Amino acid sequence: MARAGTNLRTSYLESNEVMRRPYQKLLVGLILAAALVLPFGSSDYFLHLINLSFLACVGALGLMILTGFCGQISLGHAAFLAIGGFTTVILTVHLTMPFIVVVPAAAASGAVVGFVVGLPSLRFRGVYLAISTLAMHYAIIFLCTAYQAKFGSSATAGITIADPVLGPFRLGGEFAWYFFLLVLLTFVTAGCVNLVRTRPGRAWMAIRDRDIAAEALGINLTRYKLSAFMLSATLASVSGSLAAYYSHVVTVEAYTLDLAVIYVAMIIVGGMGSILGGLMGAIFITLLPYGIDSLFEYLPRAWRFGSTVFGVQVGAVGICIILFLLFEPKGLAEIWRRTETYFDRWPFRYRPLDTTRR
Amino acid sequence: MQAEGHPSACVSKRPLPVEFVATVAILTCTYALLAAGIVILYKAGRVVNFAHGELAIVGGYVFYSSGLMAGGSLWFAILGAVVFSVVMGGFIYATMMRRVVGEPFYVAILITVGIAIVLKSAIIVIWRAEQVTINIGVAPAVRLAGGATLSYMDLASIIMTITFFIALYFFFTFTRLGVQFRGTAENPLLASQRGVNVNLVLSLAWIIAVLAATLSGVFYGGRAFLSTESVTIGLAGLTAALVGGLDSLRGAVAGAFVVALAQYLTVRLIDPVLSEALPFLILLVVMSIRPWGLFGTVEELDRV
Repeated sequence: MARAGTNLRTSYLESNEVMRRPYQKLLVGLILAAALVLPFGSSDYFLHLINLSFLACVGALGLMILTGFCGQISLGHAAFLAIGGFTTVILTVHLTMPFIVVVPAAAASGAVVGFVVGLPSLRFRGVYLAISTLAMHYAIIFLCTAYQAKFGSSATAGITIADPVLGPFRLGGEFAWYFFLLVLLTFVTAGCVNLVRTRPGRAWMAIRDRDIAAEALGINLTRYKLSAFMLSATLASVSGSLAAYYSHVVTVEAYTLDLAVIYVAMIIVGGMGSILGGLMGAIFITLLPYGIDSLFEYLPRAWRFGSTVFGVQVGAVGICIILFLLFEPKGLAEIWRRTETYFDRWPFRYRPLDTTRR
Repeated sequence: MQAEGHPSACVSKRPLPVEFVATVAILTCTYALLAAGIVILYKAGRVVNFAHGELAIVGGYVFYSSGLMAGGSLWFAILGAVVFSVVMGGFIYATMMRRVVGEPFYVAILITVGIAIVLKSAIIVIWRAEQVTINIGVAPAVRLAGGATLSYMDLASIIMTITFFIALYFFFTFTRLGVQFRGTAENPLLASQRGVNVNLVLSLAWIIAVLAATLSGVFYGGRAFLSTESVTIGLAGLTAALVGGLDSLRGAVAGAFVVALAQYLTVRLIDPVLSEALPFLILLVVMSIRPWGLFGTVEELDRV
C-alpha cells in the first residue's frame, strides 16, 4: 500500500504503529545488537554505570506511566523503591526465600502499596495530590526506618544481602547483571510501549488531558487511576528489589525525598508522555553525577576539596529540572522528534503536515 | 534517633506551665511565618512552594554569614537577610514563575522542587553543609517563673511575628496595593484588565513570602542548628498552612499553633522520635478528614 508519508496517517491501524518510519526498525535492531556486543571489552566500571541506568530506567518507566501518561503527579516514588528494597530484605534475611520468589513478591507488595498511595487520587487532583503523595512518602519511610532500627546491625549501616541464585547460576558481577537487566528492560519497555497504545494507555491519556471528559466518555476513573498507581509502584518496587540485590545493601538513608525528585527529574528531562523519553531521561540523570565528577577531574585540586563536587551533583539535578521545564518542556524526546522530522523533510525546511504534537 | 537540626530540637526539657506557653508560642511564630509565605504564594498564583524550608534555612545562613562578615554586627546581618529576600524573591518570580503562567499546574510546583534542590546544594557548596547556630541575642532577657528564660531572640521572634501579621492585615485591608493584591488573587485576568500591574503584585508576593521564610529561618537558627537536615521545617510550614487552609492567612496562624502544640506535646508526653514524623501524620489526618483546613474555602480545593 502506498503510504502518504511518515506524518500523515490514513487509517487507525496506521496511527497505532509503533515504528512509523522505515529506518526505525533498523535503528532499534542496531541498538539492540550494539547492546549485546557492548559488554565484551568494556570495563567493569562502565558496565556498572550502564547497570545503574538500566535499573533507573525500569523505575522511571513506572513514574512515566503514572505522571507522563496518567497525569497523576507523585513525589512518592522513592517510597515505592523502598518498598521493593525492604520487601527483599525481609524475605531474604528473615525467610531466606529464593530470588525467583522474592522479586515477584516485591512486585506484589509494590502493587498493594501503590493501591493505597493511589487512593487519595480519587479525591484530589493537582497540588493536593502531590502533597498527599509527599505525606505518604514520609509515612512509608518512617516505617522503613523503624524496621531498620530494629533489625539492622546499626541504625545507619543498613542491611546486607547476598548475590541472588537463579537455578544453577549465581547472579553476580557486572557482566551477568548486564545481560539480566538488558533482557528485563527490553521486556518492560516493550510492555510499556504496547500498554500505552492499547486500551489502558488511551484511558490514562484521556484522564491526563481532561478527567471530567474522560469520565463522560465512560472511562472508569477509579479503576484506571488506581491501576496507573499500582503499575507505577510495581515497576518501582521491582527496580528497588533488583537494586537491593545488585548493590548488596539496603539502607533507608538511600530513599530520601531527593531520590523521588531525581526520578521526577528523569521524566521531565526525558519528556512527559513518552516511553523513549523515560529511557533517555533515566540514563541522562543517572550518568549526570558521574559526568560532573569526571569534569571536576580537570579542575585544579582545590576545587575538588570537600563537598563541592557532591553539592554540584545535587544542584545539577535541580538545574536540569528548571531549565528543561522552562526551555524544553517536552524534554529530550522532543529534541529527538525534531531531529527526525528535520531529516524526514531534508533538504527542505518547511514544517511537516503533521500537527499532532504530543 | 533524633536529628539535632530537627524542629523538635527547639523543645527543651524544662518544667511545664510557663515554659510550655513560651515554647509553643515561639514554635508557633516560626511555623506561622513559614505558613504565611506558603499561603500568600498559593493565593497569589496557585503555586504550592515546595522550596519554602530551603528558602528559610538559606535565609538563616545568609543572616549568619553577613553578620559574621561585619564582625557580628546585627544591623549588617539584617541588611544581608533583607537583600537576600528581595533579590531571591524577585529573581524566582522574574526568571521562572512569570514564564510558566498558563502551563500545566505541575510545571510551577516542579520548578519549586528544582529550586529546593538548588538551594540545598548551595548550602553544601557555599557553607560546606556546616551546622551553624546564630549567636546573636541569645542572652536571656526575661526570667520567667519556674526558672525558664526568654532570650532577646525569642522576644524578637514573638514581637516581629505579631508585627508582621498586623502589617499584613493593614496592607491587605487599607493600602491600594494590598487591595490590588487581593484582586489579583481572586482573578488575575480581570485584575490586569482593570489596570492592576499583575507582575508587580506577584513579584511582591514572592518577596514577602521569602522575607517571611528568612525571618523564620533566622529565629529557627537562634534556637537550633541550621543544616541541610533542618530544611524539613518546610514540611512543618506546609502542614501548618494546610491545617489552617491553604488560602487563609488567619488559618496559617491557627495551623502553626496546632502543629507547634502537637509537636511539643509529643516530645514531652510520648516520644521525641515520633515528633519527627508528626508533621506528615497531621498532614495525612487533615487530608483525609478536612482537606480544606480549618479556615480554607471548600470550593478552592482541587477536588475530583
